[in-house]
Amino acid sequence: MYWGGNPAECHPRHFTKYTIMQKSKFLPRGRKDRTMVLVDIRETKSVKAADIFLQVKPGKDFELITILRALIKDQEVRDDHIAETGLTRATLEDLVKRMKAARFGCIFFGMGLSMTRGKHMNSAALLTLAAEMNAFTKFVAMPMRGHGNVTGADVIMRWQTGYPFGITFNRGYPRYNPGEFSTVDVLVRGDCDAAFIIGADPGGTMPQPAIDHLRRIPTIVLDPHITHTSKLARVHITTAPQGIAAPGTAYRMDEIPLPLKPPLKSPYPTDEEVVRRINEAIARKPFWLPDGNQPHMLTSQV
Amino acid sequence: MLRIINGKVYDPANGVDGEVKDVCIDDHGRIVESIEGGRTIDAGGMIVFPGGVDVHTHVAGGAINFARAMTPEDHRRTQAFIRTKTRRSGLGGMAPTTFATGYLYAGMGWTTVNEAAVPVLSARHTHEELSDIPIVDKSTLTLIANNEILLDQLEAGAFERAKDVLAWYIWAAKSYGVKAVNPGGVAAWKWGSDAKQLTSPIEGYARLTPGVIITQLARICEQLGLPHPLHLHCNNLGAPGNISTTLDTLKHLEGSRAHIAHSQYHAYGGSGWDSIRSETTQLADYFNTHANITTDAGAVLFGDTVTITADGPWQHLLYKLTGRKWGNLDVENETGCGIVPYTYRPSNLVNAVQWASGLELLLLIRSPWQVFLSTDHPNGGCFWRYPEIIKLLMRADFRQECLKRLPDKIKKHITLPEIDREYSLYEIATAMSAGPARALGLTQKGSLGIGCDADIVIYEEDDDVQRMFGHPRYVIKQGEIVIEDGDIRETPEGREFLFKPSYSPDTEEFIRPLFEDCYTMSFENYPVELSRIERADVIEGVTP
Repeated sequence: MYWGGNPAECHPRHFTKYTIMQKSKFLPRGRKDRTMVLVDIRETKSVKAADIFLQVKPGKDFELITILRALIKDQEVRDDHIAETGLTRATLEDLVKRMKAARFGCIFFGMGLSMTRGKHMNSAALLTLAAEMNAFTKFVAMPMRGHGNVTGADVIMRWQTGYPFGITFNRGYPRYNPGEFSTVDVLVRGDCDAAFIIGADPGGTMPQPAIDHLRRIPTIVLDPHITHTSKLARVHITTAPQGIAAPGTAYRMDEIPLPLKPPLKSPYPTDEEVVRRINEAIARKPFWLPDGNQPHMLTSQV
Repeated sequence: MLRIINGKVYDPANGVDGEVKDVCIDDHGRIVESIEGGRTIDAGGMIVFPGGVDVHTHVAGGAINFARAMTPEDHRRTQAFIRTKTRRSGLGGMAPTTFATGYLYAGMGWTTVNEAAVPVLSARHTHEELSDIPIVDKSTLTLIANNEILLDQLEAGAFERAKDVLAWYIWAAKSYGVKAVNPGGVAAWKWGSDAKQLTSPIEGYARLTPGVIITQLARICEQLGLPHPLHLHCNNLGAPGNISTTLDTLKHLEGSRAHIAHSQYHAYGGSGWDSIRSETTQLADYFNTHANITTDAGAVLFGDTVTITADGPWQHLLYKLTGRKWGNLDVENETGCGIVPYTYRPSNLVNAVQWASGLELLLLIRSPWQVFLSTDHPNGGCFWRYPEIIKLLMRADFRQECLKRLPDKIKKHITLPEIDREYSLYEIATAMSAGPARALGLTQKGSLGIGCDADIVIYEEDDDVQRMFGHPRYVIKQGEIVIEDGDIRETPEGREFLFKPSYSPDTEEFIRPLFEDCYTMSFENYPVELSRIERADVIEGVTP
């Protein structure tokens, strides 16, 4: 099941490489042995690949998931509640029957679910649906992440700080609060006095007040290309593109790291080399606390 | 160069029991007979131990990293490490961050840790995470007992082929040994079921049974000459009455060497959650008569923790029992993983039995060379709580006091109240250092013998043993003083131990088509490159 995503256009290799086309030991006929359900608010190019397309009314994903959670447990659901989602009882009962009959169900959800009305509550509801389906058969759920190595950043921040994003170090140890310490919030509030941006183009995606602040402060961009952000930055260091002219590691959406083997050489340094040299330069500067005034471990936080 | 004088030395690997003697360390971080010059530490009134060795812990990899993501509420209330000139920032707690893990282990005198569960697919990730754990030396075990390519070989009865495949996987993962988790059960979990009977065929297979996997893997590990024998997490973990499965497993291992992981979770009698009781006496009897088997306790401490295990079906049950968060990771073709936060409560009968069982095993198995200190971190409790367990082992009166907090009905379910054994310092040094080092086959660890790594911990003698073991005066890692007077002074990088078994040269070409048939990544990208592992220490296997 794909929910609120359009892999045909956004993750073009997903169908063929991972989810529906592959032949395997237990599904020797490949596509024919699988059922694909797509849930979205409009007909996207992914519909062609689906066996069943459920067009949910915009903003009604949470309601639909909650109804499914009730139906799998044979609880009563009112007709007017089902009608709100734009789907019929017969369709949903058929879906539930198929879900329970599956030997192994996978749900992939995209930003159409996680970034629309309800946001993280929608994701939580869908994850709960997948968890509860395990009372009947094997079911899993996974988000469809964005482009680039966003999973890799997430994974490494977690092992170094315990949190995936939205972290501040302003007290000398990691603290987390999405909505307060997320990049966009810090920029919109004008809380930072410098910005260092690697492998991202917030100038193209963030709201205007955030972009205005990036323009006001010294912004340093590491990027192989000229981007919206590099154009407004005080400093743009051109780096070798990862995977093309720079080696490294990229994480797949399921957190499996893959080595990047560059086929080309680049006259530009890699991101890693630039950051290393900046770190070395910073290490030569005096420490942030004067000597004799060492910070101590906190045993309980406030 | 460093000389430690006047300390009472406990070095079980060399039979030294509290003798006052000098320990000398040369410039290469090794223990030597004598040195000229260098710094001298006067350890008068202090005791000197070899650095601790954790035989079974989960400190790096996809699973613990998933647990970190699942428990931000714990990070918020836990110990924070503030950045200093030499120390990186981090957080302690149930699933500590990598830098904090190194500081916390070293902070209580542990200098070597064995990450006990690494799927080959995420081995690359695990090694990179391990290189961010400072100070301690590390090794990893590869999860293998549910690997479909290997199981197909065992199903077909192709023993020699299976041996080559396993050897190839060990080197592909750049690991040190083999871990089997719920053999067959995790493979069956992909079908939503489990494998609880050692003699019944596994879901998806015609003939193959968990029993066959266990005996064959133990044989393969021996024949490959692995320094650490098969590291086994038995079937039927955590279930009342699972003692029969565990004893049956041990019979399947008859004649082989093996290490049974966290045996506390495998020592229950009774037929349901109300009648669960400790059967550690039976299990301890087996260990007491079979010196070829070692184990770690997997002791439980009351409080909050997060459970992570490759045993997917068990974690689904735990999620249903507790209704708390549940993370499930499926690792294609290889294994699975489940994560559920958990609180052990003294008022809960099952938890109380678990708490008592872990201690009973440590006390009833007579030889500390056979049973080691562990909590299966973070499953039974966090590793930084080891000093609490040491106190429970060394002070029978303290144990009796703790027993008073348990429900009255517990008496019929456990044997702990009748045990009055107290560990001596010599036995503690064996169970926390010399024993696990020997079981892991790390000859340079857990010993203060000439030529061994100078990993040493010095405690100020104290009647409050929990305080003493929680706050060493000095910790020395490879000759370098890393902890002094309770402060982290240096944070050197640790080494990683790898084992390179030999296998038939055509193995790679044999695996390639099978691999391409069932994996979603390309074959060339699969093995971890040796160059990625910083400070690798490779032990070569002999050609069979």
